[in-house]
Amino acid sequence: MIKLVELTKDFGHLRAVDKLSFHIQKGEIFGLLGPNGAGKTTTVRMLNTLTRPTGGEAQVAGFDVVKSAFKVKQLIGVSPQEVNLERDLTARQNLHIHGLSHRMEGIKKRVDELLNWTNLSERADDIIRNYSGGMQRRLLIARSIMHRPQVLFLDEPTVGLDPQVRRLIWDLIRDLNHKGVTILLTTHYIEEAELLCHRAGILSHGKLIALGSPQELMTSIGRFVVESLDNGVTNYRLFETREEACNFAQTRGENVRIRESNLEDVFIKLTGERIGQ
Amino acid sequence: MNFYPVFLKEMIIFKRRLFRIGYLFSNMITPLLYLIAFGLGLGRGISIDGVAYLAFVVPGICAMSSMTNSYSWIATSISVGRLHFKTFDEYIVSPVTPSDIMLGEVLAGVVRGMFASSFILIAGVLFGAGFPENPIFLVAWVLNCLVFACLGVISGCLAKSHEDTATFSNFFIMPMAFFCGTFFPLDKMPVFIRVPLSFLPLTHASKTLRAAFLGEGVPAVSLGIIFAFFIILFALGVVVIRRVNR
Repeated sequence: MIKLVELTKDFGHLRAVDKLSFHIQKGEIFGLLGPNGAGKTTTVRMLNTLTRPTGGEAQVAGFDVVKSAFKVKQLIGVSPQEVNLERDLTARQNLHIHGLSHRMEGIKKRVDELLNWTNLSERADDIIRNYSGGMQRRLLIARSIMHRPQVLFLDEPTVGLDPQVRRLIWDLIRDLNHKGVTILLTTHYIEEAELLCHRAGILSHGKLIALGSPQELMTSIGRFVVESLDNGVTNYRLFETREEACNFAQTRGENVRIRESNLEDVFIKLTGERIGQ
Repeated sequence: MNFYPVFLKEMIIFKRRLFRIGYLFSNMITPLLYLIAFGLGLGRGISIDGVAYLAFVVPGICAMSSMTNSYSWIATSISVGRLHFKTFDEYIVSPVTPSDIMLGEVLAGVVRGMFASSFILIAGVLFGAGFPENPIFLVAWVLNCLVFACLGVISGCLAKSHEDTATFSNFFIMPMAFFCGTFFPLDKMPVFIRVPLSFLPLTHASKTLRAAFLGEGVPAVSLGIIFAFFIILFALGVVVIRRVNR
């Protein structure tokens, strides 16, 4: 559904995305992970036609993002990192105008359906300016799928939201995926990626350094982690089995903790950096 | 052609602003101040080529006001939408073409420019300056708004910060407001000033608007020049929109 071949973007002398190649299958939720500045957003922006690649190629739903950009725009939905709704318009007006841009038919019915789906019906005729962050984010997702896209780009969809609202958004995302929408999600929340993604790719300095299902990635580094606090610094050791981890922990004495590994451990192991730094 | 959503969005915002009394009032006040100060104050008893100064200055201020309003509304809307709220990105990821965006924004600028400058014509009638005699006035009026709305899109798309649109306005729009035949005729200006001014669109707009207002022969060349400005700036605007975000 999405295909990248040596996709590259330079900003002046800075290489933001470096010969990135991977495929995303139809019906998949694919997570792009990495610290700030790793090139996640730039990659998404090239795929959704906002930024022109410097080199390489990318296809979305079989169309080249540069040569057939207009066709790509018709097939994708985009929910950017910054909430870019029209603040002086109501929820209903925002959706309506989006529908007109896509030359949709039956806009009214679809707007009601989406307002209902996102639980915003009661506030549908209020100006967005007065919405809470969570409501704005929900409407942003509603707008991005208004025209029933085949591929959806979600750039940090739950950033800065409280836990209840995040869960609500996760439900919306899973629901969309069940309806057959292919989703490319960027996040630096590890649990979000573990929970939602069928597969994830980890970016560091514009390069893909790991690719696989969350399970595969975690197994590849070892399923168990021993955290030990030595002179105020936490050290992490990875082990294949619980016994090995326990045996090691016993040799360390106090201030140790055994837990299962997560995607963040994969990331630290591979880059030496923590996500979110 | 799918410019309607772009136009509609601007119109909804415009309508919302109209209901704020302060906004409506500030729209009326600046040009009225010019009209009162120059038309009724300074110009009382003066006539230019046999025309009362008030009747001379009303079409000039109408040209000026339609220029600044068409320009600044669109320039601000686009630069803020691009640089601050990122709403311009929503256009780019939608299947609307650069010419759709251009047309929608420019038409919105025309509505805005004509709305603001119509107060001048109303005030002109109230103060006894009369009403446009030749319907060509309407053509020139719309064209003038089109030209400066195009310029608004271009400056809004090229701005690298919010201050850039203001800078552009101070260097190009404001000097034109004063020197392009809005407040005084250019015939008596020295050649080295008159010639460069004849390359500016507002010079021709105020010339045409004034001739149509007073019922004199309409300068076809000037009308043609404004039209040419519109075509060139519209095409340039489409190119500039295409390059946004590269």
